[in-house]
Amino acid sequence: MEPAPILDREFLEKLERLTLRWQKSFAGLVGGHNQSRFAGAGQEFLDHRNFHHGDDLRAVNWRAYLRLEKLFLKMFQVEPRVPVRMLVDISDSMKGAAGEKFYYARRLAGALCYVGMVRLDSIEIHGFSNRLGRRFLCTGGRHRFGPVLDCLGSMEPGGQTDFFAVLREFISSYSQRGLTIVISDFLDDQGCQRPLQYLADFGHELMLLQIWSEADRTPPWDGELELEDAETGGQMKVQFDDSARVRYTKAFDEYADSIERLALRAGGRYVGVSTAQTVEEVLFGPLVRSRGVA
Amino acid sequence: MHLLNLTLGQFLVLFGSVSALMLALYLLDRSRRRQIVSTLRFWISAEQPTVVARRRRIQQPLSLLLQLASMALLLLAIAQLRLGMPASAPRDHVLILDTSAWMSARAAPPNGRAPARTLMDLARERARAYVRAVPPRDRIMLVRADALTTPATAFEPDRQRLAEAIAASEPGATALNLEQALSFARQIQAHSGRRAGEVVFVGTGKLADHDPGKLGLHNLRFLSVPDAVENCGLRRIGVRRSVADSGVWEIYVSVRNYGTASRTATLALSFGPSTDGPGKSPVGSQRLVLPPGADREASFAFRTRAAGFLQAQLFPRDAFTADDRAVLQLPPQTELRVTVYSLQPDLLRPVLAASPQVAATFRPPSEYSAQTGGSLVILDRFHPPAPPLGDSIWIDPPAAGSPVPVRARVTDVPFVHWLTDHPLGAGLRTKDFRLESASVFEAAPDDLKIGEVESGPVIVARPGKPKLVVLGFHPALSTMRYELSTPLLFANLLRWMAPDVFRRWELNTGSVGTVKAPLDADVRSASLRVVSDDGSPVPFTVRGRALEFFSGTPGTVRVLAEDREYVYSLTLPQLWESKWDVPAETRRGIPKFPAPLREATDLWQWLALAGGAGLLAEWLLFGRLRRGRVRVSKRPLAMRKAS
Repeated sequence: MEPAPILDREFLEKLERLTLRWQKSFAGLVGGHNQSRFAGAGQEFLDHRNFHHGDDLRAVNWRAYLRLEKLFLKMFQVEPRVPVRMLVDISDSMKGAAGEKFYYARRLAGALCYVGMVRLDSIEIHGFSNRLGRRFLCTGGRHRFGPVLDCLGSMEPGGQTDFFAVLREFISSYSQRGLTIVISDFLDDQGCQRPLQYLADFGHELMLLQIWSEADRTPPWDGELELEDAETGGQMKVQFDDSARVRYTKAFDEYADSIERLALRAGGRYVGVSTAQTVEEVLFGPLVRSRGVA
Repeated sequence: MHLLNLTLGQFLVLFGSVSALMLALYLLDRSRRRQIVSTLRFWISAEQPTVVARRRRIQQPLSLLLQLASMALLLLAIAQLRLGMPASAPRDHVLILDTSAWMSARAAPPNGRAPARTLMDLARERARAYVRAVPPRDRIMLVRADALTTPATAFEPDRQRLAEAIAASEPGATALNLEQALSFARQIQAHSGRRAGEVVFVGTGKLADHDPGKLGLHNLRFLSVPDAVENCGLRRIGVRRSVADSGVWEIYVSVRNYGTASRTATLALSFGPSTDGPGKSPVGSQRLVLPPGADREASFAFRTRAAGFLQAQLFPRDAFTADDRAVLQLPPQTELRVTVYSLQPDLLRPVLAASPQVAATFRPPSEYSAQTGGSLVILDRFHPPAPPLGDSIWIDPPAAGSPVPVRARVTDVPFVHWLTDHPLGAGLRTKDFRLESASVFEAAPDDLKIGEVESGPVIVARPGKPKLVVLGFHPALSTMRYELSTPLLFANLLRWMAPDVFRRWELNTGSVGTVKAPLDADVRSASLRVVSDDGSPVPFTVRGRALEFFSGTPGTVRVLAEDREYVYSLTLPQLWESKWDVPAETRRGIPKFPAPLREATDLWQWLALAGGAGLLAEWLLFGRLRRGRVRVSKRPLAMRKAS
């Protein structure tokens, strides 16, 4: 029996009115749907400037020349095709709660891919844990969405998260800046803030989607616990009760806040997603409100 | 307040075990939970690592207490806690009535004039007296005990039915196995589900075997039946054919004095065509002086070939007459008739005259008749016009008239092989034996090749009806006449032709019960068959060189082994071997039970409900519901900020 697809047709049809949004302007090809502050061969008028030798005479505003006897060049807003890259965390920590986070992350990634492909965006998907996974290019419109689902469905979780190694490899692989969507729980023992800041400093616009299960944020257990880290295998024994649970949740929220601050400071977006919410709720709720999609 | 199903000790042991198990499970389940988490980052900041010593600390004592209390209530329900005095609860008694053979002995009348009564009558009277003394709410099971323990009733509250069962109890033929009866009583009381009453034994206490001891029975009562009875009886009779003279029966009789005084008895044997009819003739008699508790054996010899009944009697008769007389059926002494057609009868006369069970007739071939008249025919180098209709032995037949085709005629050939693993060739052995002249036969696939030379069989036997043996040479005309194998070969041939005639008989008269019969060394266990009068098989075991089987009723059991038949006429009663040493704490006499007190009240239903409710409450308060509840704020902090 074939496994059920991670996204069904009915849900995908609801996504067709959405568009991936980014805030920065990137130098790119014509054909996108986001405005840019860069002038180029667009349809929307941007400004005039003085004509310089070598400029295209077809862009000269001849009406202004007749009136002012000076050559002015009309500049148009370029509508670039900005590359969108999506990094999906497939580390062992995503396997927690019976693979709930991993499944959720793939659904969310698939939904965002579909939103982009409807608008003819080119999206490159990478799985990652301690290194960048194989690149999968999604392009050609909604009718090419089937392979995307196959790609996401074939992902297998495993490995220990290493943001530093992954993002260094990412930056070295892609010199062209663009929108980078990171779907992860951001649980890296070595810390993920510095590598992400490094990525933002390099000119990429960040959209950080932090996924957690309820057990990640509010562990339901009581008493003495023998804990094992899903990624490192490290163990510790703790005494856990209601007051400890409050402290734990507070620490978790502080960590999520730090990631959010990083994203906002870098001009990007951050959305915290609980797996208790449906993907539809997240897309039409927090993601729209954060202007990640419109 | 008392427990019906368990003693207090049993309850405490059970509760202790359950409590220990629950505590272990509790510590295992509640003390430390192994979890795999996405990261340890937040746990470190949430809580300091615990110390190992805290593992054994009970985290939720109320939960544990609730569980223990609930289990205690359930155990009390299982143990059937009752309000009221234990004595008020009805009890189940087991009444063991001795129905061994000895109970048919007649007790001496107390005043010397009243008619004598059997020990069984006295035991019935004692049993009825006990039944009358038992409180009406108590139940009684009547068990008849001899070699086997047989319950006559279930736990019966109806005294009338008990009285009928007691009246219907009769002495059996075996001795008492008290150990088995007491074990049965203990088990049946344990399984009855009600309060155990007394185990009452009514009898003389004369046992078949060893003393059973107490068997852990503290509720044992002994209603003794006086048995000051002098008895002297036959224990065993053995009869077999004399080895020296097959026409003579050798008879051995064993007599025992069971009494306490020395006795002089006359043992008389008679033989006749029936047990009680006319025509009996005396075989012999002996006067025996029997000290108390001693055995004496007498032997007799009696010549007869006729079948009949051998009867042994002891005089004078005593109070126990069942072992004063024994009857044994003797089989007839049959003989094998052999007709020899030969021109040289002297050659075969010695081998046929060697066995007294063979009656040989020698005739010339001219008087041959195919009608054998049931006798075995030996054809000595003679080709009859028609083959005999019965069993026959052909000695060196002419090639043209041999019943088995002759393949070749050989001369001066060594004899190479005997078929020694078959009864026909058993014991045959020759060394450097050569045949001057012999016919080699073309044996059929089913034929037995008794003797062979290099080129083929020279002695062939053909089983079936009629049986046929062909010899390719004349043993008395070859060098084989000097070999011991010649008479052995003929003996084997005659035994194979007529096994019933040569069957060895051994007859024994003994008592019913377990019979141990020694077996001859050459008897194979696989050939043993034990059958009763009606031909049905009797279960048996073989231990070493002894065969054991059990017969609970008088009758005849036949043991068939190889060519022997052992007949056990188990008509004598099995009497006691020892007397029960009654434990000191055993109660005696007819008891006086206290009057029943008020009715006891069952509580087990309420206890079970309370226990179940306690477990349910524990589960609701401390169990999975509480532990599985997730404490999450409606909207996570990060999501609030994001929105």
